[in-house]
Amino acid sequence: MAAGIGERRIFRGCGFPAVISAGEDRNLGERNESMDALASTIVIQILHGLAYGMLLFLVSSGLTLVFGMMSVLNLAHASFYMLGAYFSYQMLKWVGNFWIGLLVCPILVAGLGILMERFLLRRVHAGGHVQEFVLTAGIAFVVMETVKWIWGTEPLPVPIPALLSGSVNIIGNVYPAYRLFILFFSLVVLAFLAYILMKTRLGITVRAAVSDRDMVSALGTNTPFVFMLVMGIGTWLAGLAGVIAGPFISTYPGMAGEILVDCFVVTVTGGLGSLGGAVVASFLIGQLSSFGILLIPRFAIVFAFLLMAVVLIIKPSGLFGEKG
Amino acid sequence: MNKKGTLIAVVVAAVLILFPFIAPKFQLRMITEIIIFTLFAMTWKMMLNEGGMFSFGHAVYFGLGAYASALGWLHIPGLSFLSGIFLGALAAALVAFILGAFLVRMSGTYFALLTLAFNQLIWAIVWKWRDVTGGDDGLGKFPKPDLFGLSMKNPVTFYYVTLILIGACLYACWYFTKTPMGNVARSIKSNEERAKFLGFNVQATKLIFLTLLGFLAGIAGALYAQFQEFIATSVIDGMMSTNVLFMAYIGGTGYFWGPIIGSGIFVYLSEYLSSFTDRWELILGLVFIAVVLFAPQGIMGLIQKKK
Repeated sequence: MAAGIGERRIFRGCGFPAVISAGEDRNLGERNESMDALASTIVIQILHGLAYGMLLFLVSSGLTLVFGMMSVLNLAHASFYMLGAYFSYQMLKWVGNFWIGLLVCPILVAGLGILMERFLLRRVHAGGHVQEFVLTAGIAFVVMETVKWIWGTEPLPVPIPALLSGSVNIIGNVYPAYRLFILFFSLVVLAFLAYILMKTRLGITVRAAVSDRDMVSALGTNTPFVFMLVMGIGTWLAGLAGVIAGPFISTYPGMAGEILVDCFVVTVTGGLGSLGGAVVASFLIGQLSSFGILLIPRFAIVFAFLLMAVVLIIKPSGLFGEKG
Repeated sequence: MNKKGTLIAVVVAAVLILFPFIAPKFQLRMITEIIIFTLFAMTWKMMLNEGGMFSFGHAVYFGLGAYASALGWLHIPGLSFLSGIFLGALAAALVAFILGAFLVRMSGTYFALLTLAFNQLIWAIVWKWRDVTGGDDGLGKFPKPDLFGLSMKNPVTFYYVTLILIGACLYACWYFTKTPMGNVARSIKSNEERAKFLGFNVQATKLIFLTLLGFLAGIAGALYAQFQEFIATSVIDGMMSTNVLFMAYIGGTGYFWGPIIGSGIFVYLSEYLSSFTDRWELILGLVFIAVVLFAPQGIMGLIQKKK
């Protein structure tokens, strides 16, 4: 989508690039004629869906964790994702190394997230949902405008790191290595996250706070501090997703709004506060947008929202949610 | 309404009636826009404050009102000004009723999320259904019928018609809060369980309330279509839903005058700031954050506190 159309909108859905972006291998469409064309198209489409689904998971896992703990629906969450992408662009310009950006940028983003929690969100938490909505929407607004101010409205191309610029042969198809990297990298992050949540003391506290915040607080845990940490981890994940999304879908001011809506679909479908739900729903939405664009390009975007509405109507707490 | 409130209402009405004589043309356009958004913001505020429902997809009713009336004027030959508006409002009310049937069973965050889902769903349909809605290109060139022989192309006439129509709708909103049903809606807001035990049909009340507000928001949308003489998907997208939330919130959602002041400030600030800086949206965003932090009850809250 051209930056001119979508830039002012905070909400826009399905930012999945059906067409391979300029930075990627142009040979992608070429198929080995000897192979069964349909089967290989399906495999490629599944891989596309997986790559986007993993990206979605990275962003929405933070959103769902923050909601689960603080009951805050953070409209600014995707803005951190966008900041990650822009920071990475800038870092690439200064340092010239993608991997340093991958290490540093998410940490910077997480720092901003922690500051936002400490100095803005915490102050209005007592005021209820409406205030938090308006606050986070205002922050999303400000971030988008600041990004436009500093980096302009034009999409900024981020080159794929040399190591991953090649392509891999998958049953007769040439598939960009970078998308496979997204897939595996996200899986590693997922495993890391699962380890923290399931095995560490912090994870146990977080899970306990998700199910009963007041009780955890009464048992002597410094819940505001844990909130801050969770916010930090959530925004770190969003920043990370932004950094790896840069070369994948290029960097532009509308990218926050596009992924935000998809993330809402993921979090709601999977169940607010449920990390497992986020995994399953990301996978679902990834495949849905990948195959939707292939089969019914015009109304593909409608199906994700329809899915969200139907799930909400039938089971408001989502597929794996417990509350509600 | 107490004596003071009546006095303020009379003064405001007098200023608004005299406005075309004292203000230049471009300000007349702005105040017309403010008046239209006042009704829209009022319906949002009523939903939250009188019904306890946080709508995050309010643009649906506004946008459908705009689209339905524009399509009516475009395709039904000889459709009059008021009938077109009525058509838009009716379409919005119908959709509000259908969506409401699902919405009234939700509460809190889930209500807000479902409204968001519906908003996105309907926005996406409007956006993609190019044959009917024109998609990204929008709808324009629909006729602007005369009303009682008065040409609506005259901005002053259009201003007065808008003022009268919206004034009547605002009065209806105020009147609603005084009716028994308004009381029931408020009781549901403060304690849904108890209202249920008292024997009120909570879901039916909410549904009627929603439909009514959808109708009013539809009127605002239809007027907006005639005001702009062109509509695009921006009348129905999430940004519009956010804008109305901002308008009502800046003014103060707890007060009748809140959305009126809020939409005035919002439209005025956007116009004023955009006239001298390209970064006006940034400033607007900072204003929202400042209002949330320092005036959580909105501008009206500040005024009331000073007294």
